Amino acid sequence: MGLPLFSAHNDPGPSFVEFAERHGLVHASTSADVGVHATTVIALRYSSGVVMIGDRQATGNYIASRDVRKIEAADRFTGLAVSGSAARGIELLRLTQLSFEHYEKMTDSSLSLSGKANYLSPIIQRNNLSTPLPVLPLLAGWDLSAEQGRVFEYDGAGGCYERNDFAAIGSGSPFAEGTLRLGFRADLDLEEALELGALALYEAGDNDPSTGGPDFVRRIFPMMVVIDAGGFREIEIDEVERRFQLISERRAESGGVAGGALR
Amino acid sequence: MSNYFYVSPEQLIKDRAEFAQKGIARGRSIVGAIFDKGVVLVAENPSASLHKISEVYDRIAFAGVGKYNEFDRLREAGIRWADGTGYTYSRSDVDARALANYYAQYLGDMFTEGQKPLEVEVLIAQLGNKLRPTKLYRIAYEGTITDEPHFVVLGGDAETIRDRFALSAPTLESLSATLRHATAALGGPERTIPHNELEVGVLEDRGQRRTFRRLSVDEVNALLG
Repeated sequence: MGLPLFSAHNDPGPSFVEFAERHGLVHASTSADVGVHATTVIALRYSSGVVMIGDRQATGNYIASRDVRKIEAADRFTGLAVSGSAARGIELLRLTQLSFEHYEKMTDSSLSLSGKANYLSPIIQRNNLSTPLPVLPLLAGWDLSAEQGRVFEYDGAGGCYERNDFAAIGSGSPFAEGTLRLGFRADLDLEEALELGALALYEAGDNDPSTGGPDFVRRIFPMMVVIDAGGFREIEIDEVERRFQLISERRAESGGVAGGALR
Repeated sequence: MSNYFYVSPEQLIKDRAEFAQKGIARGRSIVGAIFDKGVVLVAENPSASLHKISEVYDRIAFAGVGKYNEFDRLREAGIRWADGTGYTYSRSDVDARALANYYAQYLGDMFTEGQKPLEVEVLIAQLGNKLRPTKLYRIAYEGTITDEPHFVVLGGDAETIRDRFALSAPTLESLSATLRHATAALGGPERTIPHNELEVGVLEDRGQRRTFRRLSVDEVNALLG
């Protein structure tokens, strides 16, 4: 690649996607592929941030992988998760991370959280309307100017919708949403949010064949992420294991059912 | 019929060089120096928003002197090149030397073929790792590229500042000592540059992928004592 210089009238600006398309680095593909997908990822707001929890299983006609990381830090204050085609999803994660950093370097300032959320819309639209490999992301982060956690979900055509409570993506989302709808309060603290999120994911893993629940045999557990004023951080595996162990033991006591309460 | 006057190639090159040098001399200078843990770039810059120093990639930084619009365009192209190369191949394949060569080619082309030569000088700094060395590449207005082992000075008054800096810093020192010498060399014996008119960028390993960091006025104050 030569030095990508543009004159002022056709300069792609700080958008990496705009530049990459102009330069032929990315193409909208129309080839059919075997999609590996199905997922549950949820994001929920709590009093001082957001929590994201995602399962680790990639499923086609069989389990393709048990330890996929579906949530990534798009930058220091933003988490991004994907469902749908694994190939396009990973590409979307890469492109998004790169785009936010590219913008920051080009302009010496960070995109606002709403700016980041809107930036994804045309990328999803282009991908989903031009390929048979749809992806659907979930974006959550800490808004530095509003000083609160925010959650954004998307529809298949790229529409971006902000949720003021929670959002879930993937095939297990109806089960997760059921739990979240019953358990969500606007004043959840971090511990309560992690507990509710874990429970919602446990439900999804229990009911959806394409969502991986806690795997005590292989010690593979859902990914749990907190994004608050301190930035993006992943919860340690020991703590995640303890949390799912407790849920599992409670369920074992009551014969597999929740037993009349959100627990 | 119009009249064509013969101009010898020597004269043409001389005129163009003079033109570019004059333009560059109008701006303030920049010092880039390797210190014991990384690379520091120091610019005298009265503006807090129009930067001369910038992050390019994980371990690469840019600095430019001369006409702002011209070197800022080169800076943007450098970031695009680096992000595009890292996206196409891998992050570890982005090499400062390749970028410096592209700059050299472009500046060289503009010097001989352009309507006018670019009135800029550019510095590309790379923080080394197992794969690559710590390097400072200076690219002059006519496309000359030099690979400086320890420090580099860009801008109009480069010769004098280079002599002053070489006297005070014979070996690699700490960040604060290097910054002190660079500031003293930029200012000269009669002049002290106010700390809020210093633009300072550092490439340094802090256990993170991105190694570039801008120093705030408070940090500069603390380092200069």
